[in-house]
Amino acid sequence: MTDKAASEPIFAMRSIGKNYGAVQALSGIDLDVHAGEVLAICGDNGAGKSTLIKIMSGAEAPTAGTIRLRGREVHFRSPHDALEQGVATIYQELALAPRLSIAANVFMGAELTRPLVLPFLRVLDKARMADEARGYLRRLSVQIEDMTRPVERLSGGQRQAVAISRALRWNAEVIIMDEPTAALGVKETAQVLDLVRHLKAEGRTVLLISHNMRDVVALASRVVILRSGRKLHDLPIGDLSPDDLSHLIMSAPALAA
Amino acid sequence: MRTLVERHGTALAGLALIGFFVAFAPNFASPGNLLNIAKDTSFLAILALGFALALTIAELDLSIAEVASLAAVAAGWFIQAGYDPAIAVLAALAVGAGLGAFNGFGVTVLKVPSLIVTLGTAAIAKGLAFMITQGVAFVGRWPTGFTGLARGTTLGLPNLIWFLLAATGISYVLLKWTRTGAHMAATGEADEAARLAGIATMRMKRLGLLLAGVFASITAVLLAASLSSAAPNMAGDYFLYAIAAVLLGMTMFEPGKPNVAGTVFAALVLKVLGNGLVLMGAAYYVQDIVLGIIIIGSVAFSASVVRKAAFKV
Repeated sequence: MTDKAASEPIFAMRSIGKNYGAVQALSGIDLDVHAGEVLAICGDNGAGKSTLIKIMSGAEAPTAGTIRLRGREVHFRSPHDALEQGVATIYQELALAPRLSIAANVFMGAELTRPLVLPFLRVLDKARMADEARGYLRRLSVQIEDMTRPVERLSGGQRQAVAISRALRWNAEVIIMDEPTAALGVKETAQVLDLVRHLKAEGRTVLLISHNMRDVVALASRVVILRSGRKLHDLPIGDLSPDDLSHLIMSAPALAA
Repeated sequence: MRTLVERHGTALAGLALIGFFVAFAPNFASPGNLLNIAKDTSFLAILALGFALALTIAELDLSIAEVASLAAVAAGWFIQAGYDPAIAVLAALAVGAGLGAFNGFGVTVLKVPSLIVTLGTAAIAKGLAFMITQGVAFVGRWPTGFTGLARGTTLGLPNLIWFLLAATGISYVLLKWTRTGAHMAATGEADEAARLAGIATMRMKRLGLLLAGVFASITAVLLAASLSSAAPNMAGDYFLYAIAAVLLGMTMFEPGKPNVAGTVFAALVLKVLGNGLVLMGAAYYVQDIVLGIIIIGSVAFSASVVRKAAFKV
C-alpha cells in the first residue's frame, strides 16, 4: 500500500446517521476504508451493522451525513447504482438463484451479448460468459469446468466463489461481504477465507461483516466495533485475539470510551 | 440410463403413448386424423406457451382462457360489423395485450398475487364477453381474409402449423438467447437476487403477464378463424389442457422449469391422448379425469416454481 492510498481513503463516511421514524439505528458514524485493506465490522445484534451495510451497498439512503467514493461525494440510489460505481455487496442469503447455472449467476443482470447476423440483433454470448465465469473462479482458485451446472449443486464455499465472481465481473474495487462464513462447515469456511485472501492479493478492498472473531482475526487488518448505532472502536487488529475482540464487543461502553 | 429416464421419462412415455395409439387406435394414423391433431395442438400449444412465459417469471395467469374468449368475441364483433379482418385481428390483440398489461399492473403496482389478480381478470373478461355477445355466438359469413389465417396453407403447410412454429421459435429465442429472457428467468427463480443484481424485476413481471395475454389473443384469432364463430366461452375447454401442457412440460427437457420444448411436446401428447381415447371408444369424461391426474402428477413430480407462484399469497 502506498502512502497516498493510506492517506486518501477509497471509501469515506462522515457523520452518517439513519433513523427509522423515532428509532435511531445509526448516528455519527465516521468511517474511512483504505484501498486494499480488509476491514472487519463487528458488533452484537442490533449494533447497527446491517443498517451500515445497507447504506454502503446502496440499499438504503442515510438520513444524515455524506459518503465519498475515491474522493467524490456519492449518493447511491440502489444496489445496482453502487455496483456500477465499483461497490459490490455479497448478501449471505439472497445473492444467488440456486437453480440457474453458474454462468447465469455470475453474469446476472449484466449478460454478455454478441451480434447475430445484423449488428443490432444481439443474442447471449454463452460461450464467452462460460469462459469468463470459469476464469473468475480460477482466479479464486476454484476449479470447476462445467459452467452450466446449477448453483444448488455446489458446495457452500463454491457458492460464495460464484457470488464473489459476480463482484469481479463488475470489477468491483470495494467488496462488502455479509457474514460470508455463517452456516458453513469448517472446511468450507477455510475455503471462503482463502477467497477473501485472493481478493486482498488482487488489491481489492474488502469489508467483512462477521460474528466469527476467528475469521476476523485471520483476515482483517483493522476492526470497527459498533454498539447501539455508534462507533465504539476503530483499531488495528495487531495482536488482538478472538477473545479480546469478543471482550471489546461486549464490554461496557464507559470502559471502552 | 438413469438420468435419461429422469430427464426424459415423461417425454419417452409420451412417445410410447403415441406409438400405442398408432398401433391400436382405429384410424389414428390416418393423414386426416394426424392433421387434425396437429391443428388442435397449435391452438393449445400457443395458449400454453403464454402460460409458460408467465410462469417463467413465477406468476400464474389463470385468465388466459377467458382473455382468449373475450379477444375472439372482440374480433367477431368487428367482423360482424363489416370491418376489415385486419382491424378485427388488431382488436383481438389489443384485448389480449390490454388485459395482460392489466394483470401486470395488478401484480406489480397493486401488489395483489397473480393467482388473485388473474382470477379477477378472468371474471371481468367473461362478463365483458357475455355483455358484447348478449350470450349468443357470433356466427354467419366470415370473410376468407380472416378464416384463411387458420384454414389456409402456405408452402404446403397449414397456416396453423406455421403459427405454432413461429410462437415456439419466438418463445424459445426470447427465453434462451436474449438478455430479456435471462432477466425473466432470473426474476422467476430468485427475484430478490435479480433485483439486487440490477434487473428490473417489476418490468419483467409485467412483460411475462403481457405476453401471456398476447399469446391468448393469438390463440383466440386462430380459434375464431378456424371455427368461423366467436362465443363467450369458446376457449374454456383449453384452459385445463393448457395448464396441464405446461406442467407436464416441466417434467421434460429442463425438469422443474417451465420450458418451451416441454410445453409444445406435452401439448401434442395431451391432444394425442384425447384423440386416441375418443377413437378407442372411451367415454368423453375419461379425458377430464386423465387430465386431472396429469396436472397433479406433474406438479408432484417437479414443479417447485408452481408452488412458489401459487403459495406466495
